[in-house]
Amino acid sequence: MTLPPVLRLVVRNFRASIDPITLLVMFGQPAFLIVILGTMFNQLIPSVGASGSYVAFLVPGMIASQMITGAVLAGRIFWLDRRWSMVEQIFSGPFRRYEYLAALLLTTLLFALVGVGIMALVALPLAGLPTLSAVELAVILATIGLGATFFGGLLIAIGSRIRSANLYFTIQSLLQYFLIFISTVYYPVSSKTPVVLKVVVYANPLTYAANTVRDAFTHSFGPGDLTAGIVLGGLALATFGLAVAMFRRLEFGPVQ
Amino acid sequence: MRTTGTEIIAEARDLGYAYRPGQFAVRHLDFQLRRGEVFGLLGRNGAGKTTTVRLLTTLLPPTEGGGRLFGKELTACGRAERARIGVVLQSESLDFVSVEQNLRLYAFLWGVDRETAKSRAEEMLELFELGPMRERKPWALSGGERRRFQVARELMHDMELLFLDEPTVGLDALTRSRILDYLATRARAGLSIVFTTHILHEADRLCDRIGVMSDGRLRTVGPPAEIKRAYRGARTVEAEFERALNPVEAQELDALLAHDGDGFSWIERRADLLLFQAANAESLVASLARWAGARGVEMTRIAVREATLEEAFVHIVSEGPAPEGTLARRRA
Repeated sequence: MTLPPVLRLVVRNFRASIDPITLLVMFGQPAFLIVILGTMFNQLIPSVGASGSYVAFLVPGMIASQMITGAVLAGRIFWLDRRWSMVEQIFSGPFRRYEYLAALLLTTLLFALVGVGIMALVALPLAGLPTLSAVELAVILATIGLGATFFGGLLIAIGSRIRSANLYFTIQSLLQYFLIFISTVYYPVSSKTPVVLKVVVYANPLTYAANTVRDAFTHSFGPGDLTAGIVLGGLALATFGLAVAMFRRLEFGPVQ
Repeated sequence: MRTTGTEIIAEARDLGYAYRPGQFAVRHLDFQLRRGEVFGLLGRNGAGKTTTVRLLTTLLPPTEGGGRLFGKELTACGRAERARIGVVLQSESLDFVSVEQNLRLYAFLWGVDRETAKSRAEEMLELFELGPMRERKPWALSGGERRRFQVARELMHDMELLFLDEPTVGLDALTRSRILDYLATRARAGLSIVFTTHILHEADRLCDRIGVMSDGRLRTVGPPAEIKRAYRGARTVEAEFERALNPVEAQELDALLAHDGDGFSWIERRADLLLFQAANAESLVASLARWAGARGVEMTRIAVREATLEEAFVHIVSEGPAPEGTLARRRA
């Protein structure tokens, strides 16, 4: 039986586009941070709001940040496909452009979910994991899915306009670090947080995703989470549309 | 030459593509490709060959004119039409797995079943002499091996029309010959091929018809032999005398050739040997023979050599199209 085109492309993305060392680093780094940051800061910070311990606060943030990991991996696949002319090769074959894009976003989502699983496994012995209801679990997965689509679409749209590997990977690294550090992944926003930082943190979609996952972990969903979901959904739709538009105008030929 | 079918499977009708308004990469392309035909696109770097391939493979949308692929307008072509073509790109394209896995993964992408993919991979590894490097990653291969790999990979799936954009760059003569033989065999079995190359004798050997491109335009289209005949200015006459001509004889000969020669140009001139090109080579040979007979100078050798495709090509791209009414104006 022949798989649908999108799934064939997803299989290819997993089998052929990312080397094991890259995967180890991409997933190993946040796992390492949970262990080291979680353990070390736990000694300094007695408790963080409803989460309790710092490590219990950190884990949902790191889980939410896996949408960035997935997006970075998909962006990398797309860039390498451009660099090695596989985009052109695939587009000249029995695939539609949106199928390639959909496969990339599905790959983003699957990588993000793999990351979520790894973070949960690492967190289990350190902080334990709450028992989640079906709704809470669905909200977490939907949030990760929308966030992965947003960030994946953004990186793919950027990657489709840039013809230099150096520039693409510099932009990707900057985005990755700014988005993660200027969010509520590692620390909460409180009344003592400077206003400028507050504005920047709340302008970052990852903040809403981290807060939603955290609220699911503490069984404290509120209206803010619904708003966050709607905003994230709108942003995901917008970047998906942007990526589609960029794909239509994609220029072939050498990239460096 | 093979017998090609009558069914037109690809067609360009005043086809053009502009990167920016007014900046055309190709323009006014008119040609048709029949089933089982091997069509060569020749041209210098930047002539527009790759853009033409991209237009016909639907990678680029035409900005003027149009064309058809399997009877459907290029702009309306989609998955179904692309599933019937194969493309070997000019640039290297590869995945980050071994050579053998690349072949099988590509077949998987094209929906080829596992057993067929396995046996075809073996066939291609053998045919393209890639067996010893099956476990190596493609980027670890030499340039020529990578090119072989790329052609082999494209042949992993079934197709009716194959686009080959400079497939033999970097290949040694023996490998080139094997690949051309294989492609000729496939063409005899009904595969249509669009083939771009800089290696003109390859095109002469493989192609049923050739289109010569220059500055984004198709300057001429026709069978190689016809193109060579059409550019008679490139025909070479070689005349050798039993002895060196004296100055008076040489002067007479100069006057004769200057008077009778159409598009005459010297290639080499010695006292006992003349080598020149002229459009009216046959009549000049007759004049020469008459002159030698009248003068009592014995000719030890006189020959007219047909223009090579390379000579015709140089003539076409440097001097523009053939005159009105010749091949250049003929719709293919």
